[in-house]
Amino acid sequence: MKFGALPLQQRLMAIMLVTSSAVLLLTCAGFFTHEYLTFRKNMISQLGTVAGIVANNSTAVLAFRDREGAQEILSGLMADPHVASACLYDAEGNLFSTYPEGLEEDRFPASPEADGFRFIPSYLIGFQPVAQDGKRLGTLYVQSDMKAITARLKLYGAVAGLVAAVAFLLAFGLSRSLQRQISGPILTLAETAGRISAHRDYSARARKLEGGEMKILTDAFNHMLTHIQEQIARMELLNSITRAIGERLDVPSILQVMAETLERDLALDFSCVCRYEPAHERVTVSGVGLESAALARRMEMAAGTFIPIDRNGLSRCVQGELIYEPDISEVRFPLPGRLAAQGMRSLVLAPLIVESSVFGVLVAARRSAEAFDSQDCEFLRQLSAHAALASHQARLYGDLQKAYEDLRQSQAAILQQERLSALGQMASGIAHDINNAISPISLYAEFLLSKEDGLTPRGREQLETISHAIEDVAATVSRMKEFYRRREPEISLAPVQLNRCAQQVIELTRASWSDMAQQRGATITIRTDLEAELPLVMSVEGEVREALTNLYLNAFDAMPQGGTMTVRTRSTNAGQVRLEVVDSGVGMDEETLKRCLEPFYTTKGDRGSGLGLPMVYGMAQRHSAMVEIESEPGLGTTFRLIFDLPVGTVSAPKFAAGPGRSLAILVVDDDPLLLKSLRDALKGDGHTVVTANGGQDGMDAVETAVKEGRAFDAVITDLGMPYVDGRKVAAAVKEKSPATPVILLTGWGQRILAEAESPPNVDRVLSKPPKLAQLREAFASLPGLSAGSEQA
Amino acid sequence: MGGLPYFPLGLRIGRILMSAAILLAVFPAGSGAAKVTPKEYRVKAVFLFHFAQFVDWPERAFTGPDQNLVIGVLGADPFGDYLDQVVRGEKKRDRPIAVKRFARPEEIESCHILFLAGSEDRDLERNLGGMKDKGVLTVGETDRFTRSGGMVRFFTQGTRIRVKVNLEAVHAADLVVSSKLLRLADIVPPGAKAP
Repeated sequence: MKFGALPLQQRLMAIMLVTSSAVLLLTCAGFFTHEYLTFRKNMISQLGTVAGIVANNSTAVLAFRDREGAQEILSGLMADPHVASACLYDAEGNLFSTYPEGLEEDRFPASPEADGFRFIPSYLIGFQPVAQDGKRLGTLYVQSDMKAITARLKLYGAVAGLVAAVAFLLAFGLSRSLQRQISGPILTLAETAGRISAHRDYSARARKLEGGEMKILTDAFNHMLTHIQEQIARMELLNSITRAIGERLDVPSILQVMAETLERDLALDFSCVCRYEPAHERVTVSGVGLESAALARRMEMAAGTFIPIDRNGLSRCVQGELIYEPDISEVRFPLPGRLAAQGMRSLVLAPLIVESSVFGVLVAARRSAEAFDSQDCEFLRQLSAHAALASHQARLYGDLQKAYEDLRQSQAAILQQERLSALGQMASGIAHDINNAISPISLYAEFLLSKEDGLTPRGREQLETISHAIEDVAATVSRMKEFYRRREPEISLAPVQLNRCAQQVIELTRASWSDMAQQRGATITIRTDLEAELPLVMSVEGEVREALTNLYLNAFDAMPQGGTMTVRTRSTNAGQVRLEVVDSGVGMDEETLKRCLEPFYTTKGDRGSGLGLPMVYGMAQRHSAMVEIESEPGLGTTFRLIFDLPVGTVSAPKFAAGPGRSLAILVVDDDPLLLKSLRDALKGDGHTVVTANGGQDGMDAVETAVKEGRAFDAVITDLGMPYVDGRKVAAAVKEKSPATPVILLTGWGQRILAEAESPPNVDRVLSKPPKLAQLREAFASLPGLSAGSEQA
Repeated sequence: MGGLPYFPLGLRIGRILMSAAILLAVFPAGSGAAKVTPKEYRVKAVFLFHFAQFVDWPERAFTGPDQNLVIGVLGADPFGDYLDQVVRGEKKRDRPIAVKRFARPEEIESCHILFLAGSEDRDLERNLGGMKDKGVLTVGETDRFTRSGGMVRFFTQGTRIRVKVNLEAVHAADLVVSSKLLRLADIVPPGAKAP
């Protein structure tokens, strides 16, 4: 076990014991050394005395060479048992006499050495001069053993050992009791610290101790505990605020929570959070603590208030610095001034920083001066950092949500687009069939109207309605095809009488407004307010009728309890014509008004497609018209179409009366009904018509005719036919008879026109259902067919 | 001479030589030996010199503090120049020690140790009487020397040369002989006429 790992008490005792032992040892060593040296000195002194006496007595025996006398004198040394041997040398250095008598001469130095005493191992030896009256007569040699010193040292050793043992025991006892003076307080402190650490009870305090460092230690310890306690409280507060902030997902409520929590938990007299608007050099109060709200109103700092940035603390704060004003009573800048006016004395402004740019400022104030210490400031700074981060995340979250929403809508739109695209594909096929199917109706109606004289006025009117309806069907079918087309359709605008369209659509929708309203037991009154002599506008009549149909139906839907729908046309001085559809219905709220032009937005539930108004809007855009909507919930809606008048006057189209001469025409189609109706219509105009059922038949007919030398004046061919389509027929015609014009009839006529490329070998493209008027116009305009260039 | 067998060889040879020298000294008639001082007299010469160390003279024995301490030889000098060699450069305290030789007692003026050679034995009493009040340590070697009033006599005991001191005469001359010397010496009992 290492010394450092021993308990404090044992260490203290060990230190004391080691120290006292060392002192004891040193003392003993000193004592022994001193004793030894003293004893040696004494030995030398004693032996020197003895030797001096003997030497002095030996002068005469040496001078007169009396060996017996010398022997006698030396034998006197017997009195000292430690003198082991001695001898006398004469003046010449010869051994004269020895003691004890009879000891071998070689036990003595052969000749005297330097005078004086010295220690050799186990012995003290000395050479003492023998002189009489200054006359050197010889030398005395004495040798003393060290038994005396050994015996003395043994005695001392025993005594010292005894003393040391007693002293050690005493030191042990003393250190055992005295170490408590030092270890006691430390152990108490350690125990307190251990208890605090184990129970995490930082409210405990160490017992105060008296005296010097112990007092300093306990005071420092207790102060540290207080500090820790405060820090923990602050951390818990920070934690709770951070958690509260973290639960919020939008910036304003984060700031609000921050202001409220701070006010409550940090005992602030006023707290608010402002957002920084660098563009306006101001901050906007965003969140105010609950208790501070009334105060904030008094100091004109309620939420939403702007505070200009003064040159003082606020400007430094929005540059990212935490500002502490210990006393603002004398400060006159806008923000501290307002606070001071309501009794606040100390103020902290903490910046909310995200990615090194300040986006807000936390304002904390107290009524007493110098009420914030450095810990408060540090706390506010940390909290601001947390709040700033949370705000930043909330903002990111918001952005993410928005991006997600956009994405979701885009995805929905794309899905819808895809659906429409598929629908469009299907519609294209359907359109072809419908166009074929309605072609005879259109042709016969037109033929009847233009050629049949015996019609009653009522019959003529109804025929006209049939004709319009067929036109609208054709237009609807053609628009249906537009669903899957991204590109704006190329349209040919024609002069349109808006008044007539308005009237026609009223008739067309009669079933809706009269029957539907009656079923519900409500009456809908239709009023027309049409300006006489209204200028013509450039548009597409069918589309205008479609748009008006939608507007009328919307108006009826808006009046489930009945009401009045007014259709009004007006021309303005600004060269515009306005068409208004006004209802007295439920009107639209702001949200609906905003979104009513969006595709697929509907308030009618499953009954609505959400495409009515977008169609109107699309029409308006295509025809360079503007749409205006005015609506008030409960008061009704005014829907206004504004058409620009074309430069110059426009007159109604003149339909060609028909070619002046009879033509030989080949009609190629795979639809017998269409063939028959076309043949009847063209025959009615006085032409000679040959029909071919299908492309192959058509090509055969052309070939036969060319062979017979009577080429057709014109060839009308369907585009879409099985096996041999219109393009091939056209190519064959041009091959056999290049001068013969080819008119291509197509269910996709609009589309080909829009693609601005006539298929090769085709002189004219007409869409189905073919109109007699169009055919006449084509015959009139095509080279070689006009009246002026008749063939022989 | 129990110690003799233990002496190293050199010393034993020395001892034999010394014995020969003593024999020569005992029989000085040997021709051609006058120039080499016999061992016996070399020892006595050293002893004479040492007497200067172990004897204190009264102040009146000297004329001044720097006056030499004189060792005198009366009569036929047995020491040759050996005595001169022994005392050369020696001092007793601050006094240089000098050797003087006297043929007749009348020549003696200042002297502190006087060796009366055997040749003067016939006039011993007269000579000693002349020295009585002069503070001179008289040294002789004849048997009757101390009986006749001499102070210190050399005598031979075995092979050793020893001294006999007539304390009475010493005291009478106001001389102080060191007790260390006296421990080694034979003391002539007062009034005794021992040989």
